[in-house]
Amino acid sequence: MTPMTPLSECSGIVPQIQNIVSTVNLACRLDLKKIALHAKNAEYNPKRFAAVIMRIREPRTTALIFSSGKMVCTGAKSEEQSRLAARKYARVVQKLGFPARFLDFKIQNMVGSCDVRFSIRLEGLVLTHQQFSSYEPELFPGLIYRMVKPRIVLLIFVSGKVVLTGKF
Amino acid sequence: MTGRVCRGCGGTDIELDAARGDAVCTGCGSVLEDNIIVSEVQFVENSGGGSSAVGQFVSLDGAGKTPTLGGGFHVNLGKESRAQTLQNGRRHIHHLGSQLQLNQHCLDTAFNFFKMAVSKHLTRGRKMAHVIAACLYLVCRTEGTPHMLLDLSDLLQVNVYVLGKTFLLLARELCINAPAIDPCLYIPRFAHLLEFGEKNHEVSMTALRLLQRMKRDWMHTGRRPSGLCGAALLVAARMHDFRRTVKEVISVVKVCESTLRKRLTEFEDTPTSQLTIDEFMKIDLEEECDPPSYTAGQRKLRMKQLEQVLSKKLEEVEGEISSYQDAIEIELENSRPKAKGALANLSKDGSVEDTASSLLGEEDVEDEELEAAASHMNQDFYRELLGGGSGSAEAAENPEGGGRALALESLLGPLPTAASLGISDSIRECISAPGRDPDTSGDGELDLSGIDDLEIDRYILNESEARVKAELWMRENAEYLQEQREKEARIAKEKELGIYKEHKPKKSCKRREPIQASTAGEAIEKMLEQKKISSKINYSVLRDLNSKGGGSPQREGTRPAERASSRRLSRRRTPASRNGADPGACVGKRLRPLVSTQTAKKAAMGEAVLPSPPALGAELVRPAAVLVESGPVSYHPEEDADEEEADEEDGEPCVSALQMLGGNDYGCDGDDDEGY
Repeated sequence: MTPMTPLSECSGIVPQIQNIVSTVNLACRLDLKKIALHAKNAEYNPKRFAAVIMRIREPRTTALIFSSGKMVCTGAKSEEQSRLAARKYARVVQKLGFPARFLDFKIQNMVGSCDVRFSIRLEGLVLTHQQFSSYEPELFPGLIYRMVKPRIVLLIFVSGKVVLTGKF
Repeated sequence: MTGRVCRGCGGTDIELDAARGDAVCTGCGSVLEDNIIVSEVQFVENSGGGSSAVGQFVSLDGAGKTPTLGGGFHVNLGKESRAQTLQNGRRHIHHLGSQLQLNQHCLDTAFNFFKMAVSKHLTRGRKMAHVIAACLYLVCRTEGTPHMLLDLSDLLQVNVYVLGKTFLLLARELCINAPAIDPCLYIPRFAHLLEFGEKNHEVSMTALRLLQRMKRDWMHTGRRPSGLCGAALLVAARMHDFRRTVKEVISVVKVCESTLRKRLTEFEDTPTSQLTIDEFMKIDLEEECDPPSYTAGQRKLRMKQLEQVLSKKLEEVEGEISSYQDAIEIELENSRPKAKGALANLSKDGSVEDTASSLLGEEDVEDEELEAAASHMNQDFYRELLGGGSGSAEAAENPEGGGRALALESLLGPLPTAASLGISDSIRECISAPGRDPDTSGDGELDLSGIDDLEIDRYILNESEARVKAELWMRENAEYLQEQREKEARIAKEKELGIYKEHKPKKSCKRREPIQASTAGEAIEKMLEQKKISSKINYSVLRDLNSKGGGSPQREGTRPAERASSRRLSRRRTPASRNGADPGACVGKRLRPLVSTQTAKKAAMGEAVLPSPPALGAELVRPAAVLVESGPVSYHPEEDADEEEADEEDGEPCVSALQMLGGNDYGCDGDDDEGY
């Protein structure tokens, strides 16, 4: 995702991606018990949650694998890494004896953060951008700015740190 | 009302006689209506000679007792659900609002918000109490009363963040922008609770001044206003010689002790805290501070940068140290007696032979050298430099240790593969062979580029490890497995007995797309496809409905009186209550033993949950259809259906009610309001 306006390039502030959530369909029914018992890095607690939680070290990600064959992969720091991680998980499932495929890989959500290096007056912002901002100091110290185009939610804090998240 | 057509002769000249309450056709003389209820104001004479109007006041919200017509059958059949909801809401708002000591104007405004929320269906799926609390808090914010969300959550014993979520949603949906809370609003309230007696006003003023100073120093952004108030009041109290402890303040202000202390420390960091009391009251410092989180962030950044610089320097220093260590060891080695060289040679030969079988390249030479050096040093150091020497041996080994560990690993690495050269490959082929076929077939194949198989293998357990893990897992999840087994046994038993009922978990109702149709007929068809309709509808009739557009098939048994009543009703009734779901709804759900029209209305309300989206599309088309001419037509399926019902179920009271009310044309006009 490239920045929308060249303004960020002028100021030199580029948000760092912290997390990417993606989903992929392995297109085959899975026996979660078998996966959990034969994989080193898998945990499965059927009473608590009906999916296997698997982790790999490189890229450092976590995946939730469901018995229907759908998988959610989180924790990657770039789109390419997320795809690579999802492929690795699919490979592990394949090696465990299931005919896993790799259908419909889709990135669902991305989270980034940056620091603008100056403090922000949140009360003023909520006055001028009423329709987009929501600032409730009783509930949350940051201002929640819902940008319309592009469809992104920003959490803006008084210290100048900004968290951006959105899905397309 | 008089623009009607006579059924007997088709003439349009109909005379209404208000005295007799009749509608008579002047052409053929047939009576179209009798006992008409008219909406005129009548006056009666009082005992004192004055006259007063006849009638009762009925509340706008539909509250109050409904006078019954025709004998009081089925009293209080239900105010409509909407009216009940609003009434309930009003009651709750008053109850809660009085506990908060809100005035009547605020309560009315809150009720208006509630009405808006109900009309936007925001109460669905949420606890009524939460919505009420959100409405009240919204009023508090817009009016600027010193009520906190915490007060409401205290009253309701609900988590404040849950209430906050509902409140934010309500504010967003109603497009009401509540102004941000000013902590100054809370000062009078908290000051009163802290009981400063006569000096209340002065202390409040001082606290306000402190707060304004805090605001200028950017301390209040992103913080709970109550915490700031607490800090300001505490300092103000001390300034006026009141001994208010932290505990007292926090019990009033409802923040944690650590929060209060933190605010006090932050205030201490500002330059204003250095002024004396008198100076503070008179002077206003010009400079403004940065928010505390900003300064903390900047400090952290600087610390990180410093650390980076330091670590770089450390690395350099370490590099120097290690190079010194290396030099020392080389020296030591060179000074070894040459007799040991024989042993070293022997060991070297041995290692050469071992690794000769592996056909790897340069790594072997390095490996064996490292291994030889390591073993050599090991033997030497442990034999000669015991005790105190061992310490230095370890220290000296460390820089080498890294290298040694690597050497071992790379040595161990090749060893297994060397032992099972051809075998491992074939094993891997066997595993991946079944997996590879689906890969290459069609789309969705797994692209293996960039994936190291060795790495993947490391994530898979071997036999013995899997067994151990299985054992542990079985032990951990024994209860769950037990439950599953019992469940299966139960299902099997039920299946044998033939009473197996599959209890599927409740699927959440999917929001259906609103039906996009160009004509009413299309809308009906689409709706029919979507909904599950009962078997009691004559579908052919339904389909012919709008295709003929007015010449609806006449059933033999329909009574003209009924038709007249329904026709009149259709004209008067708003399209909102008549939606496309009616035919299916009223028949599919025999909700209550009521008049057909009433059933439909109730069904419309009850069904409003699901078909409101599909009905929207149908509605948009419907009004056009209803108002023009096919009003009476829309009733036909019901009449047909109801008559089918009547034929099949004679015992139901709905039949008698239908006949009675339909036959008399009674209560048509007053129907809507009566909620009959």
